[in-house]
Amino acid sequence: MKFLRQFGAAAAVVTVVVLLGLAWNRFAPSLPGEGPAGPAFVVRGHAVKGVPPGVKLRPGRESTHGAKPLPAGVGGNVRLNDRSGGPGLLLGDLLKPVNLTVLRQTAVLEAAVIAGVVIVDASYRRVRQARRARASRTRRAPE
Amino acid sequence: MPGVSASSTSSPAGTTSPSGRRARVAARTRLDFWFDAVILAGYTVAYSYGWTGVVIHEWLGIGLGVALLLHLTLHWDWVIRTTKRLLSPRGHDKLIWLVNVLLLLAMTLCVASGIAISRVALPELGLYTLQTPFWFRLHVLTAEVTVGLVSVHVALRWRWIVRVGRRLLAWRPGRQLPR
Repeated sequence: MKFLRQFGAAAAVVTVVVLLGLAWNRFAPSLPGEGPAGPAFVVRGHAVKGVPPGVKLRPGRESTHGAKPLPAGVGGNVRLNDRSGGPGLLLGDLLKPVNLTVLRQTAVLEAAVIAGVVIVDASYRRVRQARRARASRTRRAPE
Repeated sequence: MPGVSASSTSSPAGTTSPSGRRARVAARTRLDFWFDAVILAGYTVAYSYGWTGVVIHEWLGIGLGVALLLHLTLHWDWVIRTTKRLLSPRGHDKLIWLVNVLLLLAMTLCVASGIAISRVALPELGLYTLQTPFWFRLHVLTAEVTVGLVSVHVALRWRWIVRVGRRLLAWRPGRQLPR
């Protein structure tokens, strides 16, 4: 019973966030950092701002928004960021080194952020403990 | 991972069995640890779109949406407790609360926008999707924000992770090691 109550509360919060997203789309459909030129696109491996004049993106092609360029040394015949709209379920491709690069990049990115936060947190705690120890020592021995 | 529930932190995790060797971890703590690990792994895989391809990416994203809801439910007590304590002078929980709220917003919008632009999963269920540039851009932006916040979210609980992980993954002398 408690679980259901909490589940309902959590679902309500999530629903509110989704409704906020829908309202955002309805009333102010622009994102932070886009600027007047609109979003950045990747065209033949180069990031460009906006679409060239006279070029209209077809509805099925908008998924190139925010696409990342291929990592250095990665060739063409891979599934990397494949936006072709095809089924894309080739399990054999998962173990190809060229595709594993993407997974490794994500893992490295996450590990770097985690390591950074852990180092900052541990240092901060050590400094605080040292300060507290010094304060208690001076309190015990008032000369 | 909105936080660690009271049952997780103050559970009898770490109490030893009569043998005195094998660390025992409360069932709820074990659930939290493994469920959170699965969510982290799931998000890492889902974010690696170039690795998974569109089908796995979309279904995994929908699964992550459900997992997010369950995760929030499991830690709802923490959400209420910490929100009530926001006015107290302690700083660490405030930072975690802020990161968690931002992560909730980013991840929910990421999943919602992903559903809105779904090309395979939802059409397969006979549902039409929105496919507008706004949702595409929102999906990319929130995914980038989420990958950073997920890492910070995990890192802010590193002591709990190390403590529980040590107990869960410790070598158990009662077991035969594979040769």
